[in-house]
Amino acid sequence: MEALWAGIDNLASWPVLAAILIGSVGGLAIGAVPGIGPAIAIAILLPATVFLDDLVSLVLLLGVYGSSMYGGAIPAILINTPGTPVNALTTYDGYALTRRGEAARALSLAYAASFFGGCFSIILGLSALMLFGPYLRDLGALFGQRDIFMAAALGAVLLVAAHRKTMGIAALLFGLGFLIAIIGRQTTRQIDRYTFDIEYLYPGFNLIVVIVGIFVISQALFLLTGKDADPPQARLKGGLLRGFGELNRFKPVALISSGYGTIMGIIPGVGEFVAQFFSYSTARAMSREPGKFGRGAPDGLIASEASNNAVPAAAMVPLLALGVPGEALTAMMMVVFFDAGIKPGPDIFDNNPDFLFSLFFALLIINVLVVITLLASTSHIARIIYIPNRLLGAFILILAFVGVFSIRNSFTDCMFAAGFGFLGFILRRLDWPLVPIVLGLVLGSIMIEKLTAGSGQIKTVADLVNRPVSGTLFVVILIVISVTIFTSLRTRRFEH
Amino acid sequence: MQSRASAKALKSAVRDAPMRSALAGGGFSSVCPPAKRINVEDVNDFRRTRADLVFSVFMVCVALFFFAFFFTQTGWEDRKLPANMARYWMDQFGVTAPEGRLSRLGRIIKQGWFAPLVCVCILVPAALWNLHRAWRAQLWRARFKQPTAVGHELWQWLRALEFVAWFVAYTLLVPVLGYLVATLILGTALPWRLGYRGLRWFGICFAASFAIVLVFRTGLQIRTPVNIWLYDQLPQGLETFMQVWF
Repeated sequence: MEALWAGIDNLASWPVLAAILIGSVGGLAIGAVPGIGPAIAIAILLPATVFLDDLVSLVLLLGVYGSSMYGGAIPAILINTPGTPVNALTTYDGYALTRRGEAARALSLAYAASFFGGCFSIILGLSALMLFGPYLRDLGALFGQRDIFMAAALGAVLLVAAHRKTMGIAALLFGLGFLIAIIGRQTTRQIDRYTFDIEYLYPGFNLIVVIVGIFVISQALFLLTGKDADPPQARLKGGLLRGFGELNRFKPVALISSGYGTIMGIIPGVGEFVAQFFSYSTARAMSREPGKFGRGAPDGLIASEASNNAVPAAAMVPLLALGVPGEALTAMMMVVFFDAGIKPGPDIFDNNPDFLFSLFFALLIINVLVVITLLASTSHIARIIYIPNRLLGAFILILAFVGVFSIRNSFTDCMFAAGFGFLGFILRRLDWPLVPIVLGLVLGSIMIEKLTAGSGQIKTVADLVNRPVSGTLFVVILIVISVTIFTSLRTRRFEH
Repeated sequence: MQSRASAKALKSAVRDAPMRSALAGGGFSSVCPPAKRINVEDVNDFRRTRADLVFSVFMVCVALFFFAFFFTQTGWEDRKLPANMARYWMDQFGVTAPEGRLSRLGRIIKQGWFAPLVCVCILVPAALWNLHRAWRAQLWRARFKQPTAVGHELWQWLRALEFVAWFVAYTLLVPVLGYLVATLILGTALPWRLGYRGLRWFGICFAASFAIVLVFRTGLQIRTPVNIWLYDQLPQGLETFMQVWF
């Protein structure tokens, strides 16, 4: 209980509250603009967090992360274009409702479902912390270097397996990200790896340079070389509160979808897409009128929004508990942890339990703030949708400079970021996924760091898997690989 | 997965475009609405585009480049390995009983070349597998008379280089003119180049650029170049003011 009050106390300062407010409202606006996702906003903000207090930085980024999906539902419903990629399924039923003249009802349902999903996973997380907090303190003893290595390896395997139709590409890009991470001088043995005697490469690539290049500059180039969309004007009629009442009729769908979001968020490498997929399919299977799905079914909209908003709080679990980020956004947040000198991992339950409570309470406040903002100003936020894409691209390019240069005042960083940006642009054009590169960078580093640190205890191959946790994780890896191979072969047989 | 959903509209999204047919200039043309059947699987849909093969070949070259330099750029030359590796691995997996003391696996793992070896072992097979899939997609396209020319896609890549050049020019301009002036120039010139012209757009872009400088440099005090040629030409007081706030 002490940690709980300390966690709340940490939040009671003006800089933290201001960061929550700016992050929430900013995230809403960013989410509402098709073409700018939370990843871009977080990548731009990362260098700024160096100058801020660690909790202020984290709640700022959490605000962007937690609120962007609310904002992303607005263009998905009003103009059939998802604001963030995870709102893709919202277009199915949301836009169909708009075409029937029920845009306000669709938005209202989306807000209610998002709020339910978000609060569901946060309250679950807080309850788990309060109930199991004392036991979680012993988690540090249970998780050694080899166990965390195995958890990161599981994350990598799940990441590849989750890219169902692009597994080869995901593995290739994960390998590329991993390789970028190891370039530089190995500090313990003074061995240069792929430096080619170039002085710039001795300390290795800065994570932010690669992230800004791959996510921000590539998106700017993508927008700049594209065309301005001409979205139709949408009219809003009716109140935005009634969805909260209507949600009551679809409690089972909301509960199951939030459950999927929470579980998929916890599993590294899986995230919102799979959660949505399962939720939507389940909601359709449960519905008495499955034929209405895709034609304006409120339960379809609820399934999509509740599941994706349940993910942010859940995605913090592997990051905080194991120090293993499950997806790109939490991987970026890891940079803030590094800068703050806080090592996420099992020891955090013992060393900084109040910090955990602060983060979850901050997420709860963010959800409440976002809903209030949306109810009060949806019509204003909806105007953001109409900002021309290419103009946005120009300003994203300007912001990218701030993001890269401020890290260490290096023009070479800017040049390399431009190079990574061009690479990311080609990947976007080809529809190749970008997330595996970032996770390759982060998970690859974690895997090698933990394996090297634990090498003293590794006499034989069996020592990698003879601990309870690492052994269990290894079995899970084998199961995931087997199931993936089996389903791939079966799918191919059906296709032929 | 980020680009997939945002880059293109979902194939099966409901669109009520009317079916139209018209006789125009003697020729018959028709526009059919897309299928209305909803597939949730579309979210995970992936189709290899025309230039996929070109980039897949490039990625194989990258993978082989790192593989080729693995032996000279990773500390492999100074490796410390047991004399008989085949026997060592058999001992490790319990196929044979070790003769004497078994060398620790951890001693191999912590050598500098181990991580690059893991990377190369992921990168090279994945690149070759991806090339195989891209090649099959290309054959499929050719077989079913789908367009295979890559010129348009390569032109799009080249077009992006123009904006990379804008970015590089901007980074080079900042130490000469300062963050404020360089941002105002790029923030108004690039939109002008994109076609947002006229006083209204100029005003909007100017205000937006100025706001970026105010938020990041003046407000958050983000680091920008210190020795700026233009600021050096200013009187002492103004120079200090500009250096601190802009």
